[in-house]
Amino acid sequence: MGYRYILLILTCKILFGQLSITGSLKPTGMFRISDQSRMDLPFRLAELKLGYTMGDFDFMLNSAVEYRWGENNPVFDLREAYIVWFPNWGEIKFGKQIHAWGVADGNNPTDNLNAYDYYFMFLPGTDRKLGSLSAAMTIYWGDWQLEGVIIPDHIPNRMPFNEPDFPFQISEPSKSDATDKTLPYEKIENPIEYGLRLKTTVGETDVGISYFNGKDRSFSLLGVDTFNIIKIDPKIGYRETSVFGLNVVTFIDDITIRAEAGYFTTENNYQESWFQYYDTKAEYVQYVIQFEYRTVSSSTIGAQLIGNHVLNAVGQTVDLLTMDQTTLNTDNFIPGLGTPFAMIAEQSLSISGSETFFDESLELNYNLLINLEEKGQMVGINAAYSLIENWSIDGSVSYFKGDDKPENSFEQLEDFSHFQFQLAYSF
Amino acid sequence: MKKITILLITIISTSYPQDGMAIAKMVDERKAPQDIVSKTTMLLTNSKGKTRTSTILSKSINNSSKQILWFLNPADDKGVAFLKIEHVDKADEMRMWLPAFKKVRRISSSKKGDSFMGSDLSYEDMTSRALDENNYKRLENDMIDGKECFVLEVVPNAEIKSTYSKHITWVEKETLIAIKEESYDLGGSLRKKKKFFFDSISGYDVINEIFVEDIQKNHTTKLTMDDIKVDSDIDESLFQEKNLKRLPRN
Repeated sequence: MGYRYILLILTCKILFGQLSITGSLKPTGMFRISDQSRMDLPFRLAELKLGYTMGDFDFMLNSAVEYRWGENNPVFDLREAYIVWFPNWGEIKFGKQIHAWGVADGNNPTDNLNAYDYYFMFLPGTDRKLGSLSAAMTIYWGDWQLEGVIIPDHIPNRMPFNEPDFPFQISEPSKSDATDKTLPYEKIENPIEYGLRLKTTVGETDVGISYFNGKDRSFSLLGVDTFNIIKIDPKIGYRETSVFGLNVVTFIDDITIRAEAGYFTTENNYQESWFQYYDTKAEYVQYVIQFEYRTVSSSTIGAQLIGNHVLNAVGQTVDLLTMDQTTLNTDNFIPGLGTPFAMIAEQSLSISGSETFFDESLELNYNLLINLEEKGQMVGINAAYSLIENWSIDGSVSYFKGDDKPENSFEQLEDFSHFQFQLAYSF
Repeated sequence: MKKITILLITIISTSYPQDGMAIAKMVDERKAPQDIVSKTTMLLTNSKGKTRTSTILSKSINNSSKQILWFLNPADDKGVAFLKIEHVDKADEMRMWLPAFKKVRRISSSKKGDSFMGSDLSYEDMTSRALDENNYKRLENDMIDGKECFVLEVVPNAEIKSTYSKHITWVEKETLIAIKEESYDLGGSLRKKKKFFFDSISGYDVINEIFVEDIQKNHTTKLTMDDIKVDSDIDESLFQEKNLKRLPRN
């Protein structure tokens, strides 16, 4: 009898809940500017988001189908699946989910809870992040917000290994023929990551501080082991990194300022007895200062100053050109956590804007990224034309220009200059 | 009671011609519900006749000084939510929940002329007009659709940095409801024509349709409010950032 009653209650609850279904179909083609050849990188052909509300609970599902032209092999990706409880004091979330911290647009040094998907780095918002199993709790108290997140397992960035169409050629560590080992990365003993953030409003300014303790999202060379003089076994893994963050949103007349900075401390703490253990310690700062202005015609112009400065780096590493062991310093240290765009240039300036035409049927977005340290620019233009409600055609061009030095990041990106077409249907 | 009020207003208005401020004050003091809930359909029409329809759930209290909106349609805007809190002693607070970014974005309230979600309504149009922030001048009475109206010239004070130089407002004499308005840009040219339609709900005259025409852009917005509920005891705690993230069940 009791079970029947519970079943009846559950059935009623399910029936009287609210189901929300949204999604999109976005066939996309990407072509190199240099020779108009097709770039066979994956894109999200279809996305489906389900939300189900029942009382104080929401059930969220976010899935996508990845597709790659030339391969008839669509891949289903359950990007998020989590439950949210909304008590009147805040919210508790549990499941595979993507968290979004930070106040700036696109480049967020304080947003390190989820790994990046390098195949989708040019997508906006959470579309370029990977979900991870985690629990989060947010408490609201007047103008104050306190959020805590626990992530039990480490998820690294999804890197485009062995992709001829990707600008940076990265070989998967496990494919190295130097060792018989199949495990590419050193096992992390304590993979639990956690983060806390506190936010409040002071006058017309929103201020937030945050702390994150976790592992790098990009791998590093941690040491080298050897069995004999021929077989060298490079040890690849993820350093432990902590980030103290500061976020500010404020207004000066008609200009909105969104700024955030992260102070990172990282170290190799695997504590292994390899033949060579690279005892690495480093401190670095990443920051983004964003200015936004809306013109009289309601178009938006924005500028971002993005910086990455290594304050201190000690230990050993390997010179990637000569493969000799060398001393780690602020010039050869490579961060494994933080905003990816801060890593391709020490300091860069991004200018972006949007404008609508033809009675808002055509939306034009533009972006210019200038490397302030050495020669290098990226120009991006995107035009989206709304055919009829829920349908749009999207065309974009991304053009990279570096100098002639092979080590210049923008030079390496030059052949990645491409144009893209997309037909989008949203439902 | 209503008849007596109307009679009194008519007697007062004919015996003692009020100045603009007095009429504005009477309009301001008109009996208004404590809170309003409605499902609003926003129809945007451009110069070529192309339309876009949005459905919005709106909840507001204290004459819309606190308002929260959730977009229910179209698909690409679904889940977007907007919170506005007007302050007397500091700048108004405006925040938007953008589900695709999973972020609540604080937006500037100083750019009052910005369009609200592509409509012909600016944030300034959506903000309550405080009596002491404007100067009111009474113009010749006029007839609109057979209704006798007070006509007011409303000039915003310089310190509020309005995007309008003035408004001409037609206030129906019998009900003291603004039924038509023309708004002029800072250059003095006619920018918008607005028409307001009302319905009597639970003893209140509540707006159930707004039609805005942007003369300069040749673009129109029609807002139709359905399922209007008044005085439903909305808790003030609803108007918080946390409530943007979730569509309400009711």
